Amino acid sequence: MSLTFLTPWLLSALLGLPVLWLLLRAVPPAPIRRFFPGVILLLGLRDKTQISDRTPWWLLLIRMLALGLIILGLAGPLLNPQSTTIKRSDLLILLDGGWAAARDWQAHQLLLDRVLNQAARDGRPVAIARLTTPSTPVFQSAQSWQERLPGLAPTPWVPDASKMQTALQGLNDQPFDSLWLSDGLAQTGRAALLSALQNRGDVEVIETEQTLFALEPAKLSDGIITLHAIRLPNTVDQSVTIRAHGTDPNGRSQIISTITTAFTESATRIPVQFSLPAELRERVSRFDIVGQTSAAGVSLTGNSLLRREVALISEGADREGLELLSPLHFIARAYAPSAELLSGDLTTLLPANPDLVVLADIAKLSTTEETALGQWVAEGGLLLRFAGPRLATSDLSRTTEHPLMPVRLRAGGRTVGGAMSWGAPKSLAAFAPNSPFFGLEIPNDVRVSAQVLAQPDPSLSQRVIAMLADGTPLVTRKQSGKGQIVLFHVTANAEWSSLPLSGLFVQMLERLSQSVAGSEPDMKSLQGTIWQPSQILSAQGQLEPATRLAGIAAEKLFDAPLSAEIRPGLYTHAKEQVARNVIGPDSRLLPAIWPNGTNLRGLSDRLETPLGGWCLILALLILLVDVLATLSLSGRLVSTVAVLCLLATLSSTGPAGAQDDGAEARTPATNGNAGAAVSEKAWQASSELTLAYVVTGNSKVDAISKAGLDGLSQTLFARTSVEPAAPVGLDLERDMLMFYPLLYWPITAGQPTPSLKAYRKLNAFLKSGGMIVFDTRDGDIAGFGTSSPNSLRLQKITYGIDIPALEPMPQDHVLTRAFYLLQDFPGRYTQRDIWVEAAPQAVEKAAGMPFRNLNDGVSPVIIGGNDWAAAWAVDAQGKQMFPIGRNASDRRQRELAYRFGINLVMHVLTGNYKSDQVHVPALLDRLGQ
Amino acid sequence: VSISAHDIRNIAECDAAHLPGLLLRSQHLANGVLLGEHGRRRPGSGDDFWQYRPLYDGESHRMIDWRQSARGDDHFVRQHELKNAQTAQLWVDQSASMRFTGHAGRTTKSGRARVIALALSILLLRKGERVGLSDGTLAPRRGAQQVQHLSDRFELDDIQDYAAPAIGALKPNARVVFISDFMAPIEPVTTAVGRATDRNATGVLLQVLDPIELQFPFSGRTIFESLGGKLRHESLKASDLKADYVERIETRCSALRDLCQRTGWQYHRHMTDRAAQSALLWLYHALGDGTQRS
Repeated sequence: MSLTFLTPWLLSALLGLPVLWLLLRAVPPAPIRRFFPGVILLLGLRDKTQISDRTPWWLLLIRMLALGLIILGLAGPLLNPQSTTIKRSDLLILLDGGWAAARDWQAHQLLLDRVLNQAARDGRPVAIARLTTPSTPVFQSAQSWQERLPGLAPTPWVPDASKMQTALQGLNDQPFDSLWLSDGLAQTGRAALLSALQNRGDVEVIETEQTLFALEPAKLSDGIITLHAIRLPNTVDQSVTIRAHGTDPNGRSQIISTITTAFTESATRIPVQFSLPAELRERVSRFDIVGQTSAAGVSLTGNSLLRREVALISEGADREGLELLSPLHFIARAYAPSAELLSGDLTTLLPANPDLVVLADIAKLSTTEETALGQWVAEGGLLLRFAGPRLATSDLSRTTEHPLMPVRLRAGGRTVGGAMSWGAPKSLAAFAPNSPFFGLEIPNDVRVSAQVLAQPDPSLSQRVIAMLADGTPLVTRKQSGKGQIVLFHVTANAEWSSLPLSGLFVQMLERLSQSVAGSEPDMKSLQGTIWQPSQILSAQGQLEPATRLAGIAAEKLFDAPLSAEIRPGLYTHAKEQVARNVIGPDSRLLPAIWPNGTNLRGLSDRLETPLGGWCLILALLILLVDVLATLSLSGRLVSTVAVLCLLATLSSTGPAGAQDDGAEARTPATNGNAGAAVSEKAWQASSELTLAYVVTGNSKVDAISKAGLDGLSQTLFARTSVEPAAPVGLDLERDMLMFYPLLYWPITAGQPTPSLKAYRKLNAFLKSGGMIVFDTRDGDIAGFGTSSPNSLRLQKITYGIDIPALEPMPQDHVLTRAFYLLQDFPGRYTQRDIWVEAAPQAVEKAAGMPFRNLNDGVSPVIIGGNDWAAAWAVDAQGKQMFPIGRNASDRRQRELAYRFGINLVMHVLTGNYKSDQVHVPALLDRLGQ
Repeated sequence: VSISAHDIRNIAECDAAHLPGLLLRSQHLANGVLLGEHGRRRPGSGDDFWQYRPLYDGESHRMIDWRQSARGDDHFVRQHELKNAQTAQLWVDQSASMRFTGHAGRTTKSGRARVIALALSILLLRKGERVGLSDGTLAPRRGAQQVQHLSDRFELDDIQDYAAPAIGALKPNARVVFISDFMAPIEPVTTAVGRATDRNATGVLLQVLDPIELQFPFSGRTIFESLGGKLRHESLKASDLKADYVERIETRCSALRDLCQRTGWQYHRHMTDRAAQSALLWLYHALGDGTQRS
C-alpha cells in the first residue's frame, strides 16, 4: 500500500485552513427570527457583550474537514501507484483460458478490461491470444478488443504441450511486451513459451492463487461407487462436499446424495465412496464438487452405473399356471427391482448381450447355443446355472468337466431328510472369506433337502463358494475367460431347498451380479464405432446440449486430448452412453512452476486506484452533515426535514403507482412474494371457514360488504353450528378463491371487469362448488333485468363467467328451507326477484309433496339486488349500521335478511341436503299442514 | 397593519372552524365542576319549589295551586325559592400577543383564555347569573343563549400587538374578570381596576402565560419580534438577556398581585402547560365567594 499525489503542490492549500478557521470564528452566525410576546419587556435591554455567540467548534471542525478533503481530492491521490514505463509499443495478452480459469473468469475479465483501458489511453496496439485455441496474435487497437471482451469465454480443456507449441510457432519476431494470465496448472510447454516471449520483450505473469479441486470418473465395484477427488498440492486441510446428481422417479433432477470429506495433511487425492441402494445408484447421472464451478469439478457417469440386463432361460414353457413351481419365479422376483429382465430362448437373447444369463435346470443345449454361450462367457458374461431334476438325471459334466459347468457332477445327486432317507435336511455353513458371499448372514431356517453332488476334484475346493454344514458344495464357481460360470447345486424354486424362499437368496444373487456391472467400456468391442455427442460440458461445469458437433470415432474419443472437436460430455452410440470427463482416471493436478526471475503477480494484487473521487464524495457528504447541523443549530431542522419528506412523498407517489402497474404486468417475476402473501391468506382461509367478498375498489361499498359479512358471521355463530372466521375481501386478480365457499359480490357501476386470468379462476371456483352472490344493490329503484347502471355493469362482468341458465327462484327451491323456512329474501330492499340456476325441465312435483324432488348441485350463482350486506352490516360495537324500513317492520325485515343469509350459507355448505326427501315428513310437520 | 377582506374572511373561516371545538371544550370543562345552586332561602322568583302557603284574602284565584288545594279544604299557593342573579362581566384579551404558543403541541394563550372564559360563563349562566362583556359589546344577560353570543364574541381576533382591559360598560356591583397575559404596560390595568373598584365592582385578574415566557430559553444571535410584527429587538447573545427578562416579568407579576391586594381583587397566574381545569376551579371559587357574599 502506497500513496502518491498527481499534483502535490495543491496540498499547500492546506496551510490556508487555520486562517479560514479564524475567519469563520469571527463571523457570527445568521440571526434567528423568533416571535416572542415578551419582546415588549425586552425593549431597552442591552447585550452585556458585543460579541455574538460563536460558531461551535465542532461545526467549524466539520467544515475544515470538508475543505481539507476537497483539497486532498483535487490533489489527485493514487493508491498503489505503478511505474508505467512503456518500453515497447505492442502488448500481447496471453490467456490460458481453460477450465482451471473458469472460476475466476470474471476477475480475469475485469483485469483485462482495466489493462485494455490503460492500453487504450496509452495508444498501444494489443493482441489477445488464448492458448486453448492457439493462433497467430494480431495486434489491433485496444478498443476493438474491448468490444470483443464479453465474448471471451473459457474452454472446458486446458492448453496442453501441443497447443503451447502451436502458440510458440505462431509468434512473430517483432518485439512486444507480454501479459500472461495463467491458471496456475503445470503444462509441459510453458517454460519454452515463456522464454520465447521473454526474447521479444518484458513478460508479466498474473497467476490465480486458487485451490483447484477435480473429480475423477466414478467407478462401481461391489455395489459401491468410488470416485477420487484431487487437488493441487497443498498442506492445508480442506473439506470438500461432493454431490451425486440424478433424476427422481418423475424425471426431475435432484441431488441424490451428498458427502463431505476432507483433504488432510498433504493429501492430494482422496477416495469418496457413495454406498447407495441399487435403485438410487442407477439414477445417478453426474457428481460435482460444491463451489467448484469448473468442468473438472464434474464427473459424468454415462451408463456406467446403469442397470444390468439379466436373461432368464428355462425349459418347460408347457407348464403353465404353476407359477410358484416355475424354476425362474424366485430369480425373476429377486432381480426385478435392480435389473432389466429378458426372457426368451438363448439364441434370441444372446445377441442382446445381457450381463447375466440364468439357466434354470437346463441340461441340454444345442451345439450352436453352447458355442455362443461359451464365447459370451469368455467375453465377460456371468452364467448362472441352477440344478434340478433334469440336470441330475442328465450326463452333463459327468465324466469330463463341461466347459459351461464349474464342476463335474456325480450321478443322481442326493436327498437328505426325505421320507425315504436318513438324516435331517442340511443347513448352510458360514461363508468362507474368499467367497463373494462372505459376510452375509445365514438365516436359521434355510434347509437343503436335495442337491446335485460335485465330483471331488483337485480344483473343487477353490471353486466352492458356498457349502452345506457337512461340507458338501452348494454353490460352485469357475472363471472362464473374462467371465465366470456359477452353479447352484439346488433348484431355483423351493422344491429342493428353502433357500429361494429366504432373503439370503436375493442377497447372494445381488452379490454375484455386482461383479459384472460397472465395467469400463471395452475398447476392442468399440473399435470403429462413431459416438455422437448428446450433451457437452461447459468450462463452468454446466451441461449444455450439443448442437452442431460432429460424431467422434471411439479411438479418439477416449484417447485423444480434449480440444474444440473432442469436448467433455456425454456421447451416445446405439443404446450405449459413455461419458468423456475432463479428468481421466489416476490424474494429478500440479502447480505451474515459473523460472526464477519471472515477473509474477497474483490476481488479487491491488491495482492502481485513484482516490480523488472518493475524497470529493466524502467531502460532499460532510458538507451535507454540516447543512443538517447548521439547520439544527438554528432550530429549523425539523421543519426542513418535514418539507423534504413532503417533497419526497409527493415525488414518489407518481412512480409508485406506475410500479404497481409494472408489478401487475410481470406477475411471474414477483410470484415469490405474492405467493407468500397469498399463502398466508389462504392458510387462514383453509384453517377456518371464511366468508369472502369481492373487493370492488369502492371503499365505501367494500366497507359495507365487510361489515355485512361480519354481521352475518356473528349471526351464524350465534344461531348455527357454522362458526366462521372474520370475513376477508378478495382481490380477484391476486387472491386464490378456492378456499372460500361463498363469494359476496356487490356490483358498483364503476367496477372494472376482471382480467382473463381472474375469469379463469372464477370459473374454476364455480366448477369446484363455490357460489357467488351477485348483489346489484339497486332493489329500491330497479327490478331485475332493467337497465340500471349496476345491472348493466353486472351483465358486462358476468359475460366471462360460466353461468348456467337462470330462473327466478321457484317457491320450492332448497334455499327456502335450507335452515329457516322462508319465502321472502329481503335485504335492505324487498325486491322479490332472486335468480338462481334453473331446475331441470322434466321434474314434476309429485302428488301430495310440497316441493319437487330436485337433487342436483348447489346453484353456482345467486343474483339479486336487495343490498343484503347493508342489512347485515354491523359496526365495531355490534350495532346495525343502516336503517331498514320503518320502526317495527325494520326489525322483522332485518331478521328475515339474516335468515336469508343463514339459509344461503347453509345451502352452500350442505348442498341439497334439505332437498333430500328423507326430511320431507319432518318438514311437512313444520310447514304446519 | 392593514388586513384585506380576503384575509379577514380567511381568519373568520379558520375561527369558525374552531368554534364548535371551543364551545365543546368549554362545556366539557364546565361539566367537570359540580354545580351547587345557592338559593336565597326565602320565597321569591325562582325555579325551585319553596313552600305552599294558604291563600290570603284578596289574592287572585289564579294563584291557587289546584292540585295541592284539591287534597283538602283550604286553598294553597305554590311558592318558589327566591334567586337573585349576579352580574359577571368578562374581558378576554384578544390581541396578537395572546396568539403565541411556545410549543406546537400546546394551545395558544388565547385559546386557553377563551376556553376558560367560556367555561366560566357556562357555569355562571347555569347558576342563573347574568354574564356579559365589560367592553360593552355584549350586555349581561341570562340564559343558555348567551353562551352562543359569548363564543361569537370570543372568536374575534384583535390585530393589535397588546391590549388593555376595556371597561366601557361596567355595571355597578358587577363581578369583573380580566383574562390576559398582561404584557402590555401596567398603567391601563391599574386604571381599569381602579375605575371598577369605584363602581363597587370586584373581580379577578387571570394572567395566562406560556412557560416559554417565564423561562426565556433562548441563546445565540436572535431577533425577537412581537406577533403583530410592530416591535422588534435584536440581541447578539440572547442568553445574556435571560436574567434581566425574568426579573422584569416577575416584577410585572408582583405588581399585578400588589394591585389586587390593594383593591380587594384576586390575582392568579395560569401557565398553558397546566390543565385548564385548575384555573377554572380557581376562578369559579374566587367569583363564587363574591356571589355568595351578597
